[in-house]
Amino acid sequence: MKFQQIDQFAANLRADTRESVHSGSKAGHEKRTSVLFDHYADPNRLRQIAGEIKQHVVENLDTYLPAVEARLQANGVIVHWASTAEAANEAVYSILQARGAKKMVKAKTMVSEETELGHFLEKRGIECVETDLGEFIIQIDGDHPSHIVKPIIHKNRREIATSFERHGLGAYNDDPETITRRARAHLRHKYLEADVGLTGANFVVAESGRIVLVTNEGNSRFCLAATKCHIAMIGIEKILPRDRDLGLLLNLLARSGTGQQLTVYTEFIRGPKAAPQEDGPEETHVVFVDNGRSEVLASDCREILRCIRCGACLNVCPVYRQASGHAYRSVYPGPVGAVLSPLLAGKQFPELADLPKASSLCGACNEVCPVNIPIPDLLLRLREKGKREGSEAAAAATPPMGAWSVMATQPAAWKLAMFGGKIMNVLPAKYIPVPALQAWQAKRTLPAWRGGAFRSWLRTRAQPAADVRSAKSEG
Amino acid sequence: MLNHERPPITQRRVQLMATCLCDAFYDDVARATVEVLEHLGVEVEFPEGQTCCGQPAFNGGDWEASRKVVRHTVRTFSGDLPVVVPSGSCAAMLFHGAPLEFEKESDRASVEALGRRTWEVLDFIVNGLGITSWPGRYDAKVAFHRSCHSRGTGTGEAATRLLGSIAGLTVAPFGEGEQCCGFGGTFSVSFPTISSAMGGLKLDHIRAVAPDALVSADMSCLMHLGGLAEKEGKPIKVLHAVQVLRDALRQGGLI
Amino acid sequence: MSSDRDSILSRVRSALAPLPERAALPDWERELVIMRNARGAVDAVALFSERLVLVNGTPLTSAADLVALLEKNGWRRGYCDPALWPGLQAAFPATFTVETLFDRSRVDDYQFGITAAAGGIAETGTVILTDGGTSRRLAALAPWVHVAVLSRRTIFVDVPEAVAALGSDPNIIWCTGPSKTADVEGILIEGVHGPGIQVALLVD
Ligand code: SF4
Repeated sequence: MKFQQIDQFAANLRADTRESVHSGSKAGHEKRTSVLFDHYADPNRLRQIAGEIKQHVVENLDTYLPAVEARLQANGVIVHWASTAEAANEAVYSILQARGAKKMVKAKTMVSEETELGHFLEKRGIECVETDLGEFIIQIDGDHPSHIVKPIIHKNRREIATSFERHGLGAYNDDPETITRRARAHLRHKYLEADVGLTGANFVVAESGRIVLVTNEGNSRFCLAATKCHIAMIGIEKILPRDRDLGLLLNLLARSGTGQQLTVYTEFIRGPKAAPQEDGPEETHVVFVDNGRSEVLASDCREILRCIRCGACLNVCPVYRQASGHAYRSVYPGPVGAVLSPLLAGKQFPELADLPKASSLCGACNEVCPVNIPIPDLLLRLREKGKREGSEAAAAATPPMGAWSVMATQPAAWKLAMFGGKIMNVLPAKYIPVPALQAWQAKRTLPAWRGGAFRSWLRTRAQPAADVRSAKSEG
Repeated sequence: MLNHERPPITQRRVQLMATCLCDAFYDDVARATVEVLEHLGVEVEFPEGQTCCGQPAFNGGDWEASRKVVRHTVRTFSGDLPVVVPSGSCAAMLFHGAPLEFEKESDRASVEALGRRTWEVLDFIVNGLGITSWPGRYDAKVAFHRSCHSRGTGTGEAATRLLGSIAGLTVAPFGEGEQCCGFGGTFSVSFPTISSAMGGLKLDHIRAVAPDALVSADMSCLMHLGGLAEKEGKPIKVLHAVQVLRDALRQGGLI
Repeated sequence: MSSDRDSILSRVRSALAPLPERAALPDWERELVIMRNARGAVDAVALFSERLVLVNGTPLTSAADLVALLEKNGWRRGYCDPALWPGLQAAFPATFTVETLFDRSRVDDYQFGITAAAGGIAETGTVILTDGGTSRRLAALAPWVHVAVLSRRTIFVDVPEAVAALGSDPNIIWCTGPSKTADVEGILIEGVHGPGIQVALLVD
C-alpha cells in the first residue's frame, strides 16, 4: 500500500538529518516556552490579543493597503505592486536596471523564496548574494531552507565545513566559530560592493509607514548601511495598524521564534537616509506582493494570513520533527506550511493537498502560535477541500469512509459489525484484506475484539442503567 | 478554550456515549464509567442506537460521510441531558469538530446544542459535579498522558487533580508532556512511520519514570501506545483514568 | 505596475465583500507586555546594565574602563564620532589610533567604533541608534567592538515606552547585545556580520 508522501519522505530520511531537525526544533520550543512563561504571567492573553489585531488587519486589508501606501509615499518610499511571483521579480529587476545595478545583497526574506528571485536575477546577470549565514550556506549548496527561522536546521557542521571548502572558503574546518568568521570575512565585502540591498519586512505599520525588520546577525542592517538602494519585498498581509502594536508583536515574535526578549537588531525604517548620515539608501522601494494571498483571503482559511513567520509551530510539531522541512515540498514547511503552501499553490492545490494530512491534529501548533491561528481547524478545512476536489495526493492511504458511514447510521448494522469483528481474534491480520488494518498491525498489536461486550454487560447486570424511554417521560 | 460555556449540572442523570472504541475493544472502560457515575449518584442512560461520533471521516476530510454520522448521533442523543463520554477526543468532536463541519448546514443549531451539553467524563466529574478529590485506594505509580484532544479543555487538570488525590497513588510526571503520542486517527495508518516514531518517543519518556501503568483519558492514544509497546515485546499496562477511579473505589471497599 | 495595484486591490475587496462583519481592532494595556520582573522598576539605569549583561553586552561607566577593556584585548585602532572624540580623547593613550572619519574602503582596519546612542531600553538591555544621532551606520556595525555612548537620562524603562518615542527619524535601530547566530547546530556564535562585542558607555 502506498503511504502518504510525507511519511515516505520521513521513512527515507537520513538518521543524522532527522536528529538535527529533531534536536534543533525541540531546543527551540523549550527555550520559547520557558522564556515566555518566565517573563509573563499569562502569555496566552498576549497571543490572543495579537491574534485579534492581525485578524482585524486581514479583514480590513481593503482599507489598510491604500492607507499604508499613502503613508509610505509621504515618507519618500516608492511603492510597487506585484500580483504574481513573476511580477514581483520583474519589479525588482526593473529597479536594478534603472540604477544600472549589477550586484545585490539580500537578507533573508521568505517572499523572495516564494518568487525564486535569486534564480530569476542570476539568469539576468545580476549577482545576488544571500547574507544570512544559514541562507548563504543554502545558496552555496544549491539547497532549500527547511525551516522558516533556522534555514539549515537539517545540516550538521561537517556538511557545512565541506561546503565551505568546496566553495573556496578555506580548508576543511567544522568549528562553528571558524565557519562564522569565514562567512563574516567573505560577506562583508559583498555588502560593500553591492549596489542594492534587498530585504523582506516583518511588519509595516499603517499609521506611520514604518517598515520593521528584525535579524540577529545584523545582515539586514549591513544591507542598509552599505548600499545606496533598499528594496523591501513585502507580502500584502504584513501590516500592523499602529506603532504601539509593535510593542506587543515584537515581544511575541522574538520570544516565539528564538526564545529572546527581543531579536538583536530591530530596525524601523521610514524611508531613505537623511543628511548628514552618509551610510544608507538614498532610495527606498517597497514591492507589495500578492502571489496568491488575495485568494487565501477569499478562502475560509484566511486566518493563516495572520502568521508572523516565527517558526514556533514548526518547532513544536512532532510531525515536522520526524519529517524535516523538505518533506513539505514547498517554501513554507511545518504546520503553517501545511496550510499556506497548498493555498498559495492556487491551481496546483491538489498536488499539495496531502500536506494538511500530515498532522495528528494534536493542536500543539495552535497552542504556541503567537497570533493564535487555529491551525488544526484550517488543516481540517483543507482536508475537506482536498477530498472534494478529488486530490490523489490527499487520498493516498486514507481509508475510505463510505461503508463505515452507512454502518454508523444504522444501529442494526453497527451491532452486527460489532459481533462480526470477532473474526479478527482468530484470523491473522495478513488474511484480512483491509489496508488500514494491515498498516496498523505492521507497527502495533491490536487488542482483543470485544464487540458488544459492554452492551451485554449493561443488559445482564444486576442494576440496569436507566431505561431511555422512562427517563424521557420523567425529564 | 475549546470548551463551550456549558449549562450547569442541575440533575443527576446523564446520557452515556460509550464511543466506538469501547464498543469494539474496551468494554471495561465503558463499564467503569457507568460504575463511577453511579457511585456518584448519577443515573446513566445508554441510548442503544449509538454508534460513533463521526470523527474518523471528519478527520479524513470526508465531511459528507461524517455529517451523516453526526446527524445520526444528534438524533440518538436527543433531549437535554448532559452527554458524558469517556474520551477527550470524541467529546471534542462533538463540541468543536462537528460544529465546524456544520458551519454552512441548516441544522447547525442542533449540532451545536449537542456539543454544549457534551462532557468528557473527568471534566464532568470535576467541573460539572464539583468533585475534586477521590476516595478509596490505589497502590501504584502511574504516568498520566494528557491526550491532545483535551488541550484547551478542563480534562487534563481534572484528571491530574482526581488521580493525585487517591490514597496510595502517585502520578509520575514525564518529559515532553505536550507532545502527541502519534495516534491521530487515520493518521496512524496513513503515516505509519511518523506515527510510530512519535509513539516511540512518548514511550521512551514514559518508561524513563518506570510507572506501573500508563493512564490517559483517551483509549485511542492508549491503544496506539500499548500496541506499539507490545509489538516491541515490551508491553506496558494501559488504563483509562475512569478505570483507576473505579478500581480505587473497589480497593477501598466502596463498591 | 498600476494595473497590478488595481487588480490586487480589487481582488482584496471582493475577497472581503462577503464577510458579514469585520473583526474589530482590540485595544490593549501596555502593562500586558511588560516583563513581570521589570514592572515598576524605579532605577532604569541599574536595570539597563543588568539586562545588557544578560544579553552578553558590556555596560561601562567611564572612559577609563573603556580604554582598559580595549587595551586588554589589544584593540587599538578604531573610529570615534567626531562630536564625541573631544570628550573622550583625554582617556586614550597615544598607543591608540582613533580616526574621526570612517573610510569604508578600509572597514577591517577599525577594531572598534564609538558612536552616540539616542537612547536605551532598560527592560531588554537595548541600545537605540538613530540616523540623526549616529554619525555613521557602518561605524556602529562593521568593527568588532561597538561602543554606544549612552546618556543615563535617555533610558526608557520598557519596550512600549520606547515604541511610543520612536519619532520621525528615517532609520532607528535597536541593538540588543552583540550580533549573533545559532544557524550551525544551534550553537551560539557572536559577531556574525555586526559587532562581537556590544558596549554601552553610560554617561550623564
Ligand atoms: S503559524 Fe503561528 S506559530 Fe506558525 S510561524 Fe506563523 S505565527 Fe509562528
